[in-house]
Amino acid sequence: MEPFLRYWMRWPSVEHLIYRYLWVWGVCQSLHFVGMALLIGTVGILDLRLLGMAKQFPVAAIKKLIPWGVFGFVLCLATGLLFITGIYANVNIHPYVVLKSDVFLQLKLFFVVLAGVNLLLFYVTGMSKAVDRLEAGEEAPPLAKFFAGASLFLWIAVMYFARLIPSGKFQP
Amino acid sequence: MQEFLESIENSGFSSYLRETPSVLGYSTVLALHTFGMAFLVGLSGVIALRVLGIVPELPLKPLKKLMPIIIIGFWVNAVTGVILTTLAIRSLLANWDFYVKLAAIVVAIVALTKMRHAAFADPNVADDTPASADARRWAKLMLLSWFLAVLGGRLTAYATYIRIQSAAAVAVAAILLVLLANILVRRSRSTAAARRASLATAGSTRKLEARV
Repeated sequence: MEPFLRYWMRWPSVEHLIYRYLWVWGVCQSLHFVGMALLIGTVGILDLRLLGMAKQFPVAAIKKLIPWGVFGFVLCLATGLLFITGIYANVNIHPYVVLKSDVFLQLKLFFVVLAGVNLLLFYVTGMSKAVDRLEAGEEAPPLAKFFAGASLFLWIAVMYFARLIPSGKFQP
Repeated sequence: MQEFLESIENSGFSSYLRETPSVLGYSTVLALHTFGMAFLVGLSGVIALRVLGIVPELPLKPLKKLMPIIIIGFWVNAVTGVILTTLAIRSLLANWDFYVKLAAIVVAIVALTKMRHAAFADPNVADDTPASADARRWAKLMLLSWFLAVLGGRLTAYATYIRIQSAAAVAVAAILLVLLANILVRRSRSTAAARRASLATAGSTRKLEARV
């Protein structure tokens, strides 16, 4: 598994891009933050509505924002992949080593996966369809509230551990 | 002045936050700064999307209820921002990029306040009513200023020539995006006009047939 990950995680073309154009890293970091604000803004408003805040919104109307949240996530994913595959150009450490030894990066990825599982369960359990019918002022079912609270908690955890990544210990 | 700034930078509080190996020090303050930014920029961005008519299905009035969370986000950002500034105040105050970031934040907050007043001024307005031209202008300015503030914040850690290259890259990308958006908006308007014209023709044909 290690040789496979070592081969696939380091992309010389991305490293070359970062070496050649010094602005790429900083601009991508900014785009990563823009994507995060879009994701938290759109997912957060849906979660808050389901939890009972801003109940004046019909849920179906808030769901129109979801494509913007998906766009924010894709922006984060694309720039995040660039950071991982090109990190050697920035800190001279193989991305596999960072992934293996930085506990905060591992926790961030773990919570991203958990947020994905939470979203999947929200759809699979039928809660997504159940809340679609909620008009202004109506209360969400308890299970939908649980998924909304979990979603807020998980995305905040993702942001927290993301900020701790640079203070993680790398052991080459 | 330099001695005063040095005393702030080397105070017990600043030294502790900067040097403690605990993740509850510098990294946590930085994380709180990010949370504040995500809620402040994210939620005010959602209001701007509705004001600009990009998500017209979203009722306008209830968006006002998001303001307390936006204000909490702002204060979390302001307090953690001041703390983070004290950790490296001398280098930050000598960094022009830091002033660009601060100026962008001030403009964004003014634009947010003006947008809020313009968009939520009339309490009797219907939820599906498009926002006023004034509100749309402030929404555009706010989004642009938030982007500049985020970009400026990220680039404070870089050398001047990288910042200039980044600014040039963003300017080129922004011009291309504006051109692309203009082309798409014109195309969608002409398609919508053509559809309206064909519907009107079909309607008048049906009326004629009914008369015959």
